[in-house]
Amino acid sequence: MITTSRTRFVNPRLGAYFGIFVSLLTGLVLLLMIFEQLGTSEIVLRWAMLLGPLVLYCAIGLSVPSREALDFFASGRRVPAGYTGLGLASAAMGATGIVAMTGTFFLIGFDALCLVIGGLAGFVIMAVMLAPFLRKFGAFTVPSYLGRRFESKPVRILAAALIAVPLLLLLAAELGMGASAAAWLSGQPRGPMVLLLVVAMVVTVVVGGMRSFNWSSSGQAIASLLALIVPVAIVAVMVTNFPLPQLTHGPLLRQLVYNEASQGVPVVPASQLDFMLPGEGFASVAKRFTAPFGSVGPLAFVIAMLTVMTGVAASPWLLPRVTMTPGVYETRKSLGWATVFFGLTMLTAASVSVFMRDFIMDVVKEGSPARLPDWMQELVRLGFMQFDATASPLIFMSFKLARDTVLLSLPVAAGLPNVFAYLAAAGIVAAALVAATAATVALANVLTEDVINGLSWEPMPKGARMLVGRIAIAGVALLGGAFTLLAPTDPLRLLLWCFAITGSTLFPVLVLSIWWKRMNAFGALAGLACGFTVAVLTILAGEAHVIGLAGALAGIVGLPAGALGALLASLATPGPTRSMLELVREIRIPGGEVVYDREMRLMRLKNRERG
Amino acid sequence: MMERKERKPYWRHTKWQMLASVVPFLVLIIVLPLYASSLNGAKFLGFPLGYFLSAHGIALIAIFTVASFVNRQDAIDHWHGAHEDN
Repeated sequence: MITTSRTRFVNPRLGAYFGIFVSLLTGLVLLLMIFEQLGTSEIVLRWAMLLGPLVLYCAIGLSVPSREALDFFASGRRVPAGYTGLGLASAAMGATGIVAMTGTFFLIGFDALCLVIGGLAGFVIMAVMLAPFLRKFGAFTVPSYLGRRFESKPVRILAAALIAVPLLLLLAAELGMGASAAAWLSGQPRGPMVLLLVVAMVVTVVVGGMRSFNWSSSGQAIASLLALIVPVAIVAVMVTNFPLPQLTHGPLLRQLVYNEASQGVPVVPASQLDFMLPGEGFASVAKRFTAPFGSVGPLAFVIAMLTVMTGVAASPWLLPRVTMTPGVYETRKSLGWATVFFGLTMLTAASVSVFMRDFIMDVVKEGSPARLPDWMQELVRLGFMQFDATASPLIFMSFKLARDTVLLSLPVAAGLPNVFAYLAAAGIVAAALVAATAATVALANVLTEDVINGLSWEPMPKGARMLVGRIAIAGVALLGGAFTLLAPTDPLRLLLWCFAITGSTLFPVLVLSIWWKRMNAFGALAGLACGFTVAVLTILAGEAHVIGLAGALAGIVGLPAGALGALLASLATPGPTRSMLELVREIRIPGGEVVYDREMRLMRLKNRERG
Repeated sequence: MMERKERKPYWRHTKWQMLASVVPFLVLIIVLPLYASSLNGAKFLGFPLGYFLSAHGIALIAIFTVASFVNRQDAIDHWHGAHEDN
């Protein structure tokens, strides 16, 4: 009997490899700091900070080529829990989650927590209700799983078609965010930078598919985490004498709350369904940091939380990754790591925004200083900040920051060497690459497995299968790049739409497919179609102001629609066949061989006998 | 390998574990932020308590929920012989 093992496949040298990667990255940053002090021109430093890490990611991707389909589509199922969790946490929201969330925390404080809590809850729900079962099934894509579970080609094709929409939205959001950071770093326009990121993505993953993606994105996730945490930890030492910004900004925050009250920062109670997340561009602080429900109403807070939760839990760019751990137990554990890393990232983002508010408050408290501090003038010169110079006395509300530059402003405001701001930008590019590549590879695999080969459960021959996979990766990456250039929209909004659509379309169907044996193919079709249609129509109506519900909150209508569609259609039609029931019973039990691998093995044996 | 007659009790056990992990967590994350403003008067580690519980607190609760789920579910798997062989 063939068995799965928890530790059999894992490469024991992974730690050493990533140690080397981190050393190279640290070496690059230190070297650039030395060069900065020696007076090397700024443009050289900026390009080195942009291209150096990109070369490292490409090198990781190219050094792990795939020769087997299992490697190309599932990374050989030997990614340990910690790395999977790191990748999941980083890919869930990508650069938008870091950059836009920092800015959102800065501008609306407490209310931004709805997205953070939603993400954390998404990982919890995924760990308990979805991931272990999808790991036991072991399909490379979500539509493959649904197609096999319901023994229905229409379900597979429909799921593949509907999944493409949120994946493209995510791809556009992440490429847009990454290109903005790369454009700031290199001083070039956004267009060529989108192309640079697309090329970097393709070069990284085309040779090894999922295997390249897994290892290069682990590197990217480590880089983005370090680039986020290290500058903030240094600032935390400067301000609070302790390098744990996530836990030590409490007293600072209390002081800030008092000062905000004395500065007359408004406490505006939002009505229940208000959902005023800051958009791109300059805005002044909207409300006091810790006062809840000023920009986002209480009901909208809960709805946004549940929307993001279902979106993260059912996201088709994360679920294929949980099938790449060595076993079901490791999959559950990986979600625990994802919660840890996601929480750490978001709490760091919150502390960045508190430090930034505090720095500005320090200037304001002095009344009208004859001359603004150097860092403030530098921020204005960089185009990160605007203020009303005529206002006298100077008040807190007269400063305006662009949402997506708050993260880059912190090293400047703290007077750190320029290289730290470049490092932060390089970290944003890395995080954008993680999520954008996740979406690209997921969509390319869906194209290869479920669309091009969609009418047959039997895969194409190995060579052709991987060739199609490579072409699909390049095609999807280019399509995403074109989409980003042609339709530039606020990345945060795109991300929230993506979560709303994913949650409404996939979440009810996926959960019911595991936890409700009675569900059949008609139910799946109805659930997918109802959830998707209702969510998209609600988003469109919300954006056109036909209804008083923000597009990001569409999940509250789409989710029940999807669930109802699935329930009613299943009950109104004949029950599932015996083989379907047997399959559900099997995926509910962690032990035994991976279902997908066994079916592929049996199919190969059958073909050999025939030939 | 698991015996056939163990399937039903195993799944019943798993279902209860799922509810025990998910329901209290969901209730908590929905209710906690709604009371944040009245908790903000108190302080913990210098943070206003309502904000601290909604940010750090929920992150810790989420980590704890997944950790306890992994531990309990693994015990259930072993109890019914449904675990992976290794």
